[in-house]
Amino acid sequence: MDIQSYISSGKLELFVLGELSEREREEVIRLAAKYPAINEELRLIEEAILAFDNKSGASPSEAVKNKIFESWEDEQRHVLRQGDDFSDKSSSIVALQPWKNFAIAASIAAIIASVFAIYYANRYFDVEGRYMALVQDQAVMAEELDAFRVNIEQAEVTLETLLAGEFSKVPVRGESFEVQTDANVVVWWEQSSAQVYVSVENLSPLGDDRDYQLWAIGDDGPIGIGLINPGQRLSLQQMQEVTETGAFAITIEPKGGSESPNLEQLVGLGPVG
Amino acid sequence: MEEEQLIAGLKAQNRQSVEYLYDKYSRALFAVISRIIADRDIAEEVFHDAFIKITKKVDGYDESKGRLYTWMAIICRNAAIDKLKSKEYSQKGKTNSIDEIVYGLGDDSGTLDRVNGIGVKELLTELNEEQRFLVDCIYFKGYTHSEVSEQFAIPLGTVKSRIRAAINVLKKNLDRI
Repeated sequence: MDIQSYISSGKLELFVLGELSEREREEVIRLAAKYPAINEELRLIEEAILAFDNKSGASPSEAVKNKIFESWEDEQRHVLRQGDDFSDKSSSIVALQPWKNFAIAASIAAIIASVFAIYYANRYFDVEGRYMALVQDQAVMAEELDAFRVNIEQAEVTLETLLAGEFSKVPVRGESFEVQTDANVVVWWEQSSAQVYVSVENLSPLGDDRDYQLWAIGDDGPIGIGLINPGQRLSLQQMQEVTETGAFAITIEPKGGSESPNLEQLVGLGPVG
Repeated sequence: MEEEQLIAGLKAQNRQSVEYLYDKYSRALFAVISRIIADRDIAEEVFHDAFIKITKKVDGYDESKGRLYTWMAIICRNAAIDKLKSKEYSQKGKTNSIDEIVYGLGDDSGTLDRVNGIGVKELLTELNEEQRFLVDCIYFKGYTHSEVSEQFAIPLGTVKSRIRAAINVLKKNLDRI
């Protein structure tokens, strides 16, 4: 944990001022026992407050001091009397000695019962522990299963889309460009429905400030039709619709894409047909 | 006397230990009470009860409850606050319904002037206005930090950091008081 930020949270001051709840107090005491820096800080705060308290008021009067010690002595006498009562009782127990054997037998029975109780309690907690571990395993597996199911459903949709339509496959590769020679992306285009999908075979990951952008290059020049997620491989990423184009190109653009492509960062180009 | 020795003596209800405790801490503990309770007679009465309570409760005290002085100061502070909020006290009707205290805050002749030590007064002038306000509310008037936060609409985190800043000033200037 971050000890410095705990110290500077102001909690220790509130502790010394008696301002924390029981639960927070326990936390401070526990952490002070564990971390010398916290303990030392507590000591300094207490010292400062004690010094301040000592200087910020007058002493109580002699009268109150005398009264306090009178009360204290009364209290002691009272406690002593109670002590006497108690010793009377203990002597009466001695007089009932015949019961001693029963008491011992009962104690032994109690001890044996306790041993069994502890043994079974341990077994119980042991079994419960293993049961909880299994429940957790099961939860993890269920989650993984869900993830697989989603993947399979996506793959099915992908397959169906490609099989049902009349998509032309337009490979966009980086070989003839310097930016990323091993870049390999396939653009799937169905002219009749204007649908465009991209599947990434290989694209290097980018920093947080940049994106891959797909362009359709038609008679009117390049039009940005979507951003490509390089990490999402073996699935189809849907782009914006294109009715006419001569080629697809991929460039690296600032985060969110640009209005027109930065040709210095041209990753790949794929002519249609 | 080491604190451990003192605590052992107190638990054994050893008179010398109780006297030592009184001599060493009575002034500070009384200050804790009397800065919250202005009336000296009532403050002494509360101090009497709180001190006796300390000698009784010390049996159950151990270091896991914090250091001795902090533990005692909290008992005194709580006793003073209980008294301040009790019916009996408000009927005596000195200055002290909570609201009067709150709305009397702008008054410069307020509680800070009850402080005796000249060094302490100087020290308090080292605090900026916000810190002094908080010290006044919490230290001298017995507000809890969450009450200050609610009544004056200061976020709790801000209250905490200002208290810490104020106590830091006290720590740095310890040798002067």
